[in-house]
Amino acid sequence: MSAVGFAILAGLVLAGALVVVLSENVVHAAVALAFTFFFIAGLYLMLGSPMLAVIQFAVNAAAIPILTIFIIMTTQSRRVRPASGALYLIAVVLAGAFLYGLWGLLGAPQTAFRPVSPEGLGARLLSVTLLPFEVASVLLLLAMVGAIVLARRLEK
Amino acid sequence: MITLGHFLALSAVLFAIGLFGVLTRRNLIAVLMSVEILLNAAALAFASVAAYKDPVFFAGQLFALFIIVVAAAELSIGFAILLLVFRHAGSVATDVVEEMRG
Repeated sequence: MSAVGFAILAGLVLAGALVVVLSENVVHAAVALAFTFFFIAGLYLMLGSPMLAVIQFAVNAAAIPILTIFIIMTTQSRRVRPASGALYLIAVVLAGAFLYGLWGLLGAPQTAFRPVSPEGLGARLLSVTLLPFEVASVLLLLAMVGAIVLARRLEK
Repeated sequence: MITLGHFLALSAVLFAIGLFGVLTRRNLIAVLMSVEILLNAAALAFASVAAYKDPVFFAGQLFALFIIVVAAAELSIGFAILLLVFRHAGSVATDVVEEMRG
């Protein structure tokens, strides 16, 4: 895996994430979210995990931003009021403290990654984690039914 | 060579950016998008640890898959609740849902 490719992808991911949290136009934020997730899928590909990359692309980079833009159009809320300066200060301090606390854990030893084959991942998914897999499918069904029940208009 | 530390550092910075967004955004849609960034940062950390440290079991990659599933469910329910808030208050600013705060 080339260091240049990783640096470019990581820079694009971080730039996209910054646009998502800083842009005053929510539509711009949603498009930046799509690009951020797209580049994270690229990182998964570099990591030798094509299965995860495809799922990341289909679900997170395609479906979720489209749903988000639908909601933005429905609620007509394209612009957001910027937060107060004190709130920004608190958020920067908290995020910085989080990073500082985590930084000590990052001295990982120098080993190479191993590619994760889709066959192996699928076999594990349907043997070792079969019960969580089924629970996840029930969770998705419940979320779908729940979203319909919550969002429908009540007849009067 | 790109090591596990690089991936973990990237996901830590991504998580910090998402945390910043959750804390500062004044629009519920933008808050939910920041939560998505948080979940993806965690999934990236899980997947990279699995690729570097766990060549047999891929447990972290399975975790990343389940994180994507749970994130999709969370987002659909979150948006449904957000639509209810919009119908109730006519806005999706965070100020309109502060009635229950202590």
